[in-house]
Amino acid sequence: MSEPLIQAKRLTKSFLSGGKEISVLDGVDFSLAPGTSCSIRGESGSGKSTLLNVLSGLETVGEGELYWSGKKVSGLSLSALAAERAARIGFVFQAYYLAPELNSLENVLLAARIHRRIDSSVTDRAVQLLEKVGMGHRIKHSSTKLSGGERQRVAVARALINDPPVLLADEPTGNLDEATGEAVMELLLEMTADADKSLVLVTHNPIHAARTETQHMLHLGKLGQSVI
Amino acid sequence: MPWYLYHALKQLFPSGRFFSFFSLVSIVGVMLGVCVLIIVQSVMNGFGENIRSRIVETEGDIRIRSNEVIYDWEEYFGKLQAKENVVAVSKYAEGIIMLQYKNRPQFPVVRGIDPWEDEQVVPLEKFITVGNIEQFDDEGIFLGEGLAHTLGAGPGAIVEVFTPLMLERLKKDEILLPREFKVLGLFRTGSPAVDGNTMISTLRVMQELYGLEDGVHGMVLRLRPGVEAFQYARELERDVLRPGLQAVSWLESNRDFLFVVEQEKRVISFILIFIILVASFSIAIALMMAVIRKTREIGLLVAMGARPRQVAYSFCFQGFVIGTLGTVFGILMALLCLRYRLPILTGYGKLTQNEVNFLGVYDVYEIPVHYLASDFITVTCFAIGISTLAGLLPAFRAARLKPADALRSE
Repeated sequence: MSEPLIQAKRLTKSFLSGGKEISVLDGVDFSLAPGTSCSIRGESGSGKSTLLNVLSGLETVGEGELYWSGKKVSGLSLSALAAERAARIGFVFQAYYLAPELNSLENVLLAARIHRRIDSSVTDRAVQLLEKVGMGHRIKHSSTKLSGGERQRVAVARALINDPPVLLADEPTGNLDEATGEAVMELLLEMTADADKSLVLVTHNPIHAARTETQHMLHLGKLGQSVI
Repeated sequence: MPWYLYHALKQLFPSGRFFSFFSLVSIVGVMLGVCVLIIVQSVMNGFGENIRSRIVETEGDIRIRSNEVIYDWEEYFGKLQAKENVVAVSKYAEGIIMLQYKNRPQFPVVRGIDPWEDEQVVPLEKFITVGNIEQFDDEGIFLGEGLAHTLGAGPGAIVEVFTPLMLERLKKDEILLPREFKVLGLFRTGSPAVDGNTMISTLRVMQELYGLEDGVHGMVLRLRPGVEAFQYARELERDVLRPGLQAVSWLESNRDFLFVVEQEKRVISFILIFIILVASFSIAIALMMAVIRKTREIGLLVAMGARPRQVAYSFCFQGFVIGTLGTVFGILMALLCLRYRLPILTGYGKLTQNEVNFLGVYDVYEIPVHYLASDFITVTCFAIGISTLAGLLPAFRAARLKPADALRSE
C-alpha cells in the first residue's frame, strides 16, 4: 500500500483570545491516500480552515505529528514548509486571490515561477490548463475583468500548474451562485480525477461533500466520519 | 528572472496598463527631488566655474604685488620669465581715477598694461567687442561696456581723466588740467563688476598719471596648465622674490567669494536633500499601503511556496525600481530644464512681472551651468539608496506576515 500524501497524528491547535486559550483542534487524526478525495464539513468557526491550514503547513502544529509523503514536517519553520509545499500542494480558495495586476495566464504562471523557473513548456501547459478549465478564450484578460466563476476556474488552473499530488480547496464555491458553483465543483472533481490527484474539500455544502470518496465532520475540535 | 523581481515589476507596471497610479506618484516624487538637486548643483557649479575661469582670465594665475611702488621689477621680471612653470609675465599699474564725459563723472579703476606683453597673460583681444587692439597707443583707452554705457561714451568719444596726483598739484595752487583720451573701443569680460568699472590704458600712461616714473604696482603671471597656483606662489616667495614682494594666487585673492559660492552650493543641496527624503517617505507609505491592501495576496504567495524573505525582496525591489526610474527621469528633466533655462527664466519673469536680477550678485550676465560627474553619481546613489531603504519597512512587514493570518485578513 502506498504512503499517505498527508498524514496527521493527534494534531492539536489552539489560539489565545482575550488571554484565554481556545482549543480549535483536539487530537485530530487524518490520512489522505494518493488519488482519493475527501471532504471536511463542520459548523462555522469549527476550525475547518484551520485544519486545512495546519495540514498544508500554513499554520504551525501545536502538538502531534504531521507527515507529507512519509516525511515529518511538523516542527519545520514556515519558510522551510513553504519550499516543500510548492511542489506538493495546490490551493483553491473561496476568494480566488488572483493578482489584479496580472492577466489569467500570468496568474497561473506565477505559481510556476515561485516553484521553479519557467520555460515555453510550462507556458504551454498553463495554456492547456486554462483551455481545459474553459478559459482558453480569456487567457490575456485582466483578472479584474473576469466574473467570479471565471476567476475560480483560473484559480483551479493555477492550483494544478505545478502538478501537485494534492489539491486543497477551501470553500471553492462559497462566493458563487448555485449554478456556477456546481460547474466549478464539477470541474474540480473532474480535473483531480483525470490527473489522479488527491482532493481535500472544505465545504458547508452536503451535496458537494457527498461527491467525494470520504466525508469527515469536524466538531468540537475532533474529526469524525460523517454520515450525510 | 526570479519570481519576486517579476512580481515587483508587475506591481509597478500591471498587465494592460503602463503604470500603476501609486508607482507613477512615487516615481514623480523622486524625479522632482533629483531634478531640483541636479539643477541647483549644476547652476551653483556654473557660478563657481564661471567666476573661477573669469578670475584667471582677467587677473592671471598669480599676482606679484607690494605695499609700495615696485621700482626694481626688472630684476624679478627676468627671473620669473626664466621659471619653467611660468608661461608669461606682464607688469601693470592700477588705481582709481575720475573719468568724465560731458560733465558725467565716474570713478573707475584704470589698469595700465603693456598690451603686447599682457596679451600673453590676460587675453585682452578676446574681450574686445568694439575696436582693435592694434590701434592701442598712449592717446587712447578701452572702456568696459558697462562703464561706457554709464558714461554714454562710445568709441571715438574724448573723455577727461583726473588723477589723485592732480589733486596734489591743486593743493599747490597749480592749474588743474585734465588729461584727454580717445575711446578706442569697448571690452566685455563677462563680469559685470569688471565691465562696469574698468578702464584700460597703456602702462606708460598710467605711470604718468600716478607719477610712478619707471615703477609698477605689480606683475601678473600665467602658469602652465596643471600647476597649482597656491603652492607655486609660496615657492616663488621662498625662492625668487625679495621680502616685501608678495605672490598672491587667484584662489587667495578671491578666497571669500569662492568660499561663499561653495558654501551656498552645500547649504542649498543640504536643504534640497529633504525633498528626496520626503519623496522616500511617500514611497514607504505607498508600499506600506500596498502591503496592507495586498495582505491576502501575500498570504497566497506564501501558500504557493514563496519564502518570506523573497516576499521582502519583492517590496524592496519595488523601492529600488521607483528610485532608479525617478532618478533617470529626474536627470533627463534637469538636463532639459538647464538646456532651456533662459526661456524658462524669461517666462518666469513675465509670469511674476518681475525682472530676474539676482545674477549681478554672482557677477554674471546669465545663468551659467557646469556639469560635474561627481554630482550626478552622488545624487543617483543617494536617491536610489533612499528609495530602496524606503521599501525596507514595508518589506519587513510583508515578510513577517503569517500566511494563515494573511489569508484570513479582511
